[in-house]
Amino acid sequence: MNVDNVKSQMRKGMLEYCILLLLHREASYASDIIMKLKEAKLIVVEGTLYPLLTRLKNDGLLSYEWVESTQGPPRKYYQLTKQGEEFLSELETAWDDLSDTVNHLRQKLLTANIL
Amino acid sequence: MKKTLTINLGGTVYNIDEDAYVLLDNYLNNLRYHFRKQEGADEIVRDIETRIAELFNECIRDGKQVITIEIVESVIARMGKPEDLNDEADEEQEKKDTDKNISRRLFRNPDDRILGGVISGISAYFGWDPTWVRIILIVFGCFVHGLILAYLIAWIVIPMAQTATEKLQMRGEPINVTNIGKTVTNGFERANEFAHSEKPRSFLHRLGNAFVAVIGFLLKLFLILVAICCAPALLVGLIVLFALLMAATGILVSIPAAFYNTLPYIDWNLIGNSPTIAITIAVCGLLAIGIPVVGLLQLILQGFGKWKPMSTSTKIILILLWFIAMAVGIIFLLQAPFFEYSYFPALFT
Repeated sequence: MNVDNVKSQMRKGMLEYCILLLLHREASYASDIIMKLKEAKLIVVEGTLYPLLTRLKNDGLLSYEWVESTQGPPRKYYQLTKQGEEFLSELETAWDDLSDTVNHLRQKLLTANIL
Repeated sequence: MKKTLTINLGGTVYNIDEDAYVLLDNYLNNLRYHFRKQEGADEIVRDIETRIAELFNECIRDGKQVITIEIVESVIARMGKPEDLNDEADEEQEKKDTDKNISRRLFRNPDDRILGGVISGISAYFGWDPTWVRIILIVFGCFVHGLILAYLIAWIVIPMAQTATEKLQMRGEPINVTNIGKTVTNGFERANEFAHSEKPRSFLHRLGNAFVAVIGFLLKLFLILVAICCAPALLVGLIVLFALLMAATGILVSIPAAFYNTLPYIDWNLIGNSPTIAITIAVCGLLAIGIPVVGLLQLILQGFGKWKPMSTSTKIILILLWFIAMAVGIIFLLQAPFFEYSYFPALFT
């Protein structure tokens, strides 16, 4: 069991949720998403994002449109579809449950240790 | 001093050093290979290309005119190696693929060849040193008849290893992203080495290569001479073929005459009076005989494992066509004025 491996597995599981979260009510293009994810230290290498975006798009959770840019070729702006919004809210509850459970568990252990 | 290339990446033009280009090309090929089984693989690589172009733009804005290998290296480090980009945990699958693919195949080697790369390919297949194999072959070639012919046949029959995958198969190395990358870069490095390197090889190696090169040249000359000498023979062959074709046509032409004798119940004089009926019957007859023949041929060729089986719809159409041809043929035959019923007294009276 490798710590880095488990960590990266945890991050991978989170990544889809975070991408959907970032695109919630705000269309943005891949490099913006990369910047935000990097800030949050959720991705290490940028290439990870592209297969994910393409898969989410093919699954109908995302859609994109081309937007002209002043700094070069047109950019792909991704946004959530209706299905994507529904998916996100479902993930949201799942995440809340999960973090509640984990926090609860930790809290319990913490108090047990103190006592 | 370095040579630069001009590339179009994500719709923008960049000047890039040759070595940087090779590295980038290699990287993108590896990505393409890595994502090959994923839906939208092209799109993923295109998006990554666009991102790389963006990163290049930043460098150019910083005042750099040419994309160097350092820039490409930093960009690759930033984007991640293909094996780091696994979307879902499909590493196991990849491992399975790799194990399955370790099989040697005989190819001609395009990277190291004197004539056709046959010896080089055979040596790679068995893991031998091609120079020695060449020397041995040339020595034996002087005494053993048919060796040159065998070489020529091998040259014609064995395919050239063209893609990186085929080159790996030639050497029996597992086909995976790392190895393909190695092959692509190695090919380039080897070519460069060949052109620029001044490092001395072993004397034997040099002698062997020079010897093989001279013999190769002589052999080429010999082959050209043989081709010139063979030209009259080829001409004769063509004439014979032509004669055979003529004979075949003759036989085809004589078939109606044979019919004339074997089908006495048809009044051949009356056929000219009702050409439509005659043609219809002929077409129906061709279909009625031809479809089973085609089916039989298909079955035989299928049996040898070379042909795909016929699709069900094709089969149904052919069977229907056969029935229609039979029905129409019989109806027309019964109405045909040139059909002499007297030959079938039991059937028609």
